[in-house]
Amino acid sequence: MLNRRDFLKAGAGLALVAALPARAASGTGHVVIIGGGVGGATAAKYLKLYNPALRVTVIEANRSYIRPYGSSEVLTGHVSMDDLVVSYDALKSKYGVEFVFDTVVGFDPAKKQVRTAGRQSIAYDKLIVSPGISLQYQAIPGYSAVVAETRAPSGWIPGTQTALLTKQLRAMRPGGSFVIVAPPNPYRCPPGPYERAALVTEWMRRHNPTGKVLILDPKDSFVTDATMQLGWHRLYGYDIPDSYLSDMPAGVKNSGKPSPIEWVRAMDGGATERIDARTLTVKTKQGAVKADVLNIIPPMKAGKLAFDMGLTDASGWCPVDRRSFESSVHKNVFVIGDASIADAMPKSGFSANNQAKVTARAIVDQLAGRAPGEPVWSNTCYALAGSDYGLFVADVFRLKDGKIARVPGERYLPIDASPAKIRLAAAYQQAWLKTFTEDCFA
Amino acid sequence: MSRFPLLATLVLALGAPYPTLASSVQPTPRTPSVADVRSTLASMPRGDVKRGKELNQSLMCASCHGDAGVAPTQNWASLAGQRAAYTYKSLLDYQTGGRHENPRATLMTVAVKGMSRQDMADLAAYYASLPAKAAPAPRLDKTAHARADHLARRGDPARLLTPCASCHGAAGQGGVNETPALAGQSVDSFVRTMQDYRDGRRITDANQGMRQFAERLTMEEIRKLAAYYARMGKN
Amino acid sequence: MGTLMKISIFAFAALTAAFNPVHAADPTGEAMAATCAACHGTHGKLDVVEFMPLAALSEKEFVRAMQDFRSGKRPATLMGHVANGFSDIEIRAMAKYFANVE
Repeated sequence: MLNRRDFLKAGAGLALVAALPARAASGTGHVVIIGGGVGGATAAKYLKLYNPALRVTVIEANRSYIRPYGSSEVLTGHVSMDDLVVSYDALKSKYGVEFVFDTVVGFDPAKKQVRTAGRQSIAYDKLIVSPGISLQYQAIPGYSAVVAETRAPSGWIPGTQTALLTKQLRAMRPGGSFVIVAPPNPYRCPPGPYERAALVTEWMRRHNPTGKVLILDPKDSFVTDATMQLGWHRLYGYDIPDSYLSDMPAGVKNSGKPSPIEWVRAMDGGATERIDARTLTVKTKQGAVKADVLNIIPPMKAGKLAFDMGLTDASGWCPVDRRSFESSVHKNVFVIGDASIADAMPKSGFSANNQAKVTARAIVDQLAGRAPGEPVWSNTCYALAGSDYGLFVADVFRLKDGKIARVPGERYLPIDASPAKIRLAAAYQQAWLKTFTEDCFA
Repeated sequence: MSRFPLLATLVLALGAPYPTLASSVQPTPRTPSVADVRSTLASMPRGDVKRGKELNQSLMCASCHGDAGVAPTQNWASLAGQRAAYTYKSLLDYQTGGRHENPRATLMTVAVKGMSRQDMADLAAYYASLPAKAAPAPRLDKTAHARADHLARRGDPARLLTPCASCHGAAGQGGVNETPALAGQSVDSFVRTMQDYRDGRRITDANQGMRQFAERLTMEEIRKLAAYYARMGKN
Repeated sequence: MGTLMKISIFAFAALTAAFNPVHAADPTGEAMAATCAACHGTHGKLDVVEFMPLAALSEKEFVRAMQDFRSGKRPATLMGHVANGFSDIEIRAMAKYFANVE
């Protein structure tokens, strides 16, 4: 295993190459992208759209992509693991993006080269790094990658853990507890853990009617919390906590009866202290919670590659120029997607897709010697409280005083949205899964 | 109120505004007889145009079908000037699971959840009150227009094709045998519908009568007829 | 005019300037339109039936729709929120972009 010092060919004292004047007026060049997920794929496609003369190479470990967005629907059988697989064929055949299926083991920012495990040395004019997240299993005492693969899956980067979690849910004893340990901020996909809890609850109403879903949270709130909980209230008889009641539409009344879904916030002792993998027990401030199926979504940081390449700061995420997402550490290297520090933008696929486009534009401008234009991003994510119950968060982002800020205004589904709107939102969520995948990969 | 099988299914389909079950139940397709269609429509509630106009907004129909029943894209059907009986039956068919010919039908099935029969009748009345507008269509040259016109008004006995107009009216206004108006329908919607009938994906018309017509027409003729009827709306 | 008043006015102007693209540089129509693609398709070209294709939509219709979404005159799930993020000038720039897509 390479340490970071080995990783950089030059060690400390690496001289940052000053920004050179623009290349030939034709603005061509070789853009290398590490990571073929949402950010990397969208960047590859849009670089080619903005300037077909560019050479674009994606270095990616896996020969196809397993999409994390919408992956909770595998748990409920709404889709299969196969449905999550996205091919790179369109990027290759339609846009001429080159692929190197390999991992990056060396990086020389001075020479502007990366080296792969297969011993290829790939030179770049501009490098985009879109490494996603790394799950910090060890941050929770008693948890580890091995435990996640075999006993208490995370399923936050989809694959074998998602399949295992699905299997465990199916095999759960009648009346069992499906416990979700939610992550602290910042994390990928803010409404995600709560959507997963909702969909599992809906599934259990049919397949395990006495089963329960319990969310243990180190936080007191989450993006879409008001509308999501209203959905749980209407669909599953969930009681709205006092602090949210004033947000609710008129006529919302708690029944006082137990509900199949429960959310324990940090303020009520929901933070996890340690887990016991053998007994699937979670120790919280409140006491011990014994799970039949334990889904732990651990704290996150930038993908490991970002650390290896020296792109992260003390926070564990990558500081970037907010206009172009060029790394604050290495010139001509751009970090996009979850791994980047993007201020008010949530860590989501939609954000990664938008960042990729802005960055692609900025790179094309840089290569052509043009000043970059004014950036704008948006993030519009639908989420489900049930198969027919949709809600969302929608924002437009601009640069404000050097940081990325939300344009002020309403962000959420109105709390008094009509049943028709809510049903339509759920239909839109399904459509969005398709259109989004196409915009990134096809 | 006459009894008919659809009502029973309808009562089951209506429920709380927020259904708790995942909507993955496969609907049973059902082709009605002429008598079935008549009896369905005999019990159609009286529609309120004003209420229908409000519902067009509040039930989000306008999102796709437009404020005045003219769809902003050929992706979705125009409804301005559509016969109330036809619209009503279509909405019922979506609700009872009879329509699943393509993703639009799936979307419509979601859209009609929770709609009462009164809602459907009101919406139907509203659309019927709106003038059909001529839809953009490729220009038909003299020969092509003559061909379409001949098929529409005289049919083709050799293929046992009765004239379209014998049911759909000389001005495409629909009505005979509860057929829909065709005037002002977008070209793409018309062609898609005929293809759905042709391929047997759509089977909720009485005795699958439309399938026989759609099968015997060529795609070229269908496209000509689409342009012909698209232009029949008022400008 | 008191200092506090001056500061308030300045802050207000700065805030509006930060968000009012009339004073700041505008993103291009293409750049803004790119934010739409994740739902409305690359270049506004769509395969799914649920969303409105934007490619070749007339400028007038696009502007009218976005303004009606923004004002709430036209009911929508989230388009109102999205439209709120753009000024009239920006909406016209996006309209021009989409109208010119083949």
